[in-house]
Amino acid sequence: MKNMKIIFSALSIAVLLGFSINAYAAKSWGVTNEVKAKFTGTVVDIACELTGNCPDNCGAGSRQLGLQTNDQGLILVAKNLTLYTGAAEELYDFCGQEIEVDGLFTENRNVRFFQVQNMRAIGGKWAKATRFHKAWAEKNDTKPRKAKRWYRKDERVKTIIERDGYLGLGLDKDTEYFGN
Amino acid sequence: MYALTCKNAVRAGVMALLLFFNVTFAAQAERKTITGEVMDTWCYVSQIMGGSDFVVGTTHHVCAVWCAAGGIPVGLLDKSDGQIYMIMSNGDDTTNVANQALLDIQSHEITVEGSVYELDGIKYLMIDKVMDDKGVTNLTHKVVGILPAEAHP
Repeated sequence: MKNMKIIFSALSIAVLLGFSINAYAAKSWGVTNEVKAKFTGTVVDIACELTGNCPDNCGAGSRQLGLQTNDQGLILVAKNLTLYTGAAEELYDFCGQEIEVDGLFTENRNVRFFQVQNMRAIGGKWAKATRFHKAWAEKNDTKPRKAKRWYRKDERVKTIIERDGYLGLGLDKDTEYFGN
Repeated sequence: MYALTCKNAVRAGVMALLLFFNVTFAAQAERKTITGEVMDTWCYVSQIMGGSDFVVGTTHHVCAVWCAAGGIPVGLLDKSDGQIYMIMSNGDDTTNVANQALLDIQSHEITVEGSVYELDGIKYLMIDKVMDDKGVTNLTHKVVGILPAEAHP
């Protein structure tokens, strides 16, 4: 009986350990030419790298960011883990710092860029790249859990759809296609 | 002796400036006029919603607005050769995450003048001026409907 308890405890610890390690491993999204990758790079403002126009703190969420690496050059980080969202909000706090990221490369039609799923400062704790929800909730005076379907509630999006319709052709064309 | 020191100081200054500009402006710009569709780069490249040719135009208009508002890089898909340019600025506005002017012209066919920088395999576009805007001209919904399904009224 005592042995069973020891075995059960050991198994539980192994499962928990395995889960906590896997929780921060990149997961497949089935994207084109997908490659899982974990690497380090320095967070940079891409427009700043190209033109020398460099706002403080990599634009604090207003600029597309990349990772300058030693062996792969500048990598554009196009996506994070939340729906329909980019990576600037996830990365700008690390502006100018070397970080470790875990995620997916996708490549198609002469473009290769990266989706960050997890990240950490060198030697720091891993975090999921889901900060967008928190930031959107703060800007829109709501709670992060209510930001999961932010794209349905975003005022900028609603204004454009109300003006141009779902097809972008005007409301009359929407009525013709979708009905009333 | 003083003149020599001065000359050396000037030389060192010039060298420092050259080095600075060399390091800062790593990429050379090429002036271009491009006609193409303002598009959602993530769905197009990753094909997560379907084939690249289906996630443009009216089919994908709402998703393109969502993705632009969410901060995914907005691209210009060159009508002549299918090249993707990542739009990094629009006139004097250097905001390239959820840029309102770009949100307003998602899926539109536009003609722009600007500077193209190529760095590590990606072409980045700084738009000087939008010369023409034809609105949404790519009527993909007639062929493939709406993608994704939730981008529906």
